[in-house]
Amino acid sequence: MTPGGGSWPATIDGEAAARIARLMFYGLLSIVLMTLDYRGGYVDSLRGLAWRALEPVVLAVEAPFGLGQRLGEEMRARHELMDRIAGLERHLRETQAEVALLEELRDDNRELRALLEASQRVAPRFETAELMNIDLNPWSHRVLINRGRRDGLTAGQPVMDSHGVMGQVDEVAFSTAQVILISDPDHALPVRVQRTGLRTVAYGSGRINQLRLTDLPMNVDLQPGDVLVTSGLGGAFPPGLPVAEVESLSRPVGEAFARAEVQPLARLDRARHVLVVDSPEPDSSPASSDAADSGNAEENSDEAGDEPNGSVEEPAAEATP
Amino acid sequence: MNRKRFANWTLGASLVAVLPLTLMPLPEAIADARPYWAALVLIYWNLEAGRLRYLGQAFIGGLVLDLLTGSLLGQHALSLVIISYLTERFRYRIRFFPPWQQAAVVMLLLFNDRIVQLWTIGLVGDQWPAWQWWMAPVVGMLLWPWLFLLLDALRQRERRRGP
Repeated sequence: MTPGGGSWPATIDGEAAARIARLMFYGLLSIVLMTLDYRGGYVDSLRGLAWRALEPVVLAVEAPFGLGQRLGEEMRARHELMDRIAGLERHLRETQAEVALLEELRDDNRELRALLEASQRVAPRFETAELMNIDLNPWSHRVLINRGRRDGLTAGQPVMDSHGVMGQVDEVAFSTAQVILISDPDHALPVRVQRTGLRTVAYGSGRINQLRLTDLPMNVDLQPGDVLVTSGLGGAFPPGLPVAEVESLSRPVGEAFARAEVQPLARLDRARHVLVVDSPEPDSSPASSDAADSGNAEENSDEAGDEPNGSVEEPAAEATP
Repeated sequence: MNRKRFANWTLGASLVAVLPLTLMPLPEAIADARPYWAALVLIYWNLEAGRLRYLGQAFIGGLVLDLLTGSLLGQHALSLVIISYLTERFRYRIRFFPPWQQAAVVMLLLFNDRIVQLWTIGLVGDQWPAWQWWMAPVVGMLLWPWLFLLLDALRQRERRRGP
């Protein structure tokens, strides 16, 4: 859309030139900003600050919609709710039965690990959160949740729904937080193929329902349907959380690596309730014998006590049987 | 001189109203076709009242929008600056167009903006937008006359009640 003809009187040509100069200035400024934001996130701290300042706006916009949803839930017919409760109770019973079985496995596992003197795996703890009624830019691969610093969230905590890993907490404000989804082109997640144990990295593709594995060896043993879980490398995610399912594998001729497209198991675009995992830092400290006496001291501090507490609980439980 | 005092309340209210309109949840099928409210309001104030004419104002407004919608910092800023520039550039022509023609120009401006934003999206490597996304300028065009009438009426009332 180039300017077609002189709609300006000739006398203010100077002003026109100045305006073009200003356009150039602001255009360049925003391009520089975009570049800084995209490459390496130089403006992250700035963004974080501004986001915290703008949080009330988001809360104010969200309030009426949240209220509307609650009203809608209250108006729902009683028998419908009863049906739902019955369904959920049945589901709970089934899950409890499964958990009871898993409990036994966990005890076995603990004993085996103790025999191997391997590091204890810390049982991750969850905080539930709900997505806010705010539509962000459809290309941002970010969502807002209604938990924040108030609830002890910190940047970098894993976020999952009931099917798999969704993303990571990015910006934390007082009572809200932004979550960057694993489908964001900037996001990379260390994963392991469950069937073969192969470790690789899943990159966001910019599509909400797709991730990419780009550095697989050409002779890789991978089939559509294979499940990827987090490998725990890098320390941000606890190992073993389900991430994605392999969709297709291609070995482009003349390239050094095979590539695979995988589909996230989490419902990135539809989930409403999510779990924020209290990041346990799995490889940091193997549970050692001195954990028992340091345990009491750690109990009081709530901030730093998270991972020592987690690892302390296990030897204590181990002593009882 | 005196003009500046008019329509301050309306200006503020319309700017505040942009935020919920931009952020409010819409059904998934039509979320992509959400009209670019910020641009519509900006164009209105520039054309009809000669307010918000500075590119700097558009730039700052765009940055606020970027932060709130979690987009790349500068994406909306760039798009609003370009819209503001083009509106100002053709201001004296557009002002005297009949309303339907004005709406068509608004659609062109919004369509041009889609291309600018597509460029950003392409550079970042995000998913190509769905076809609904291209409907947003058309929705904007259909909304324009009503927005125009509403803001004009509010402005008139404020002016009459004024000092």
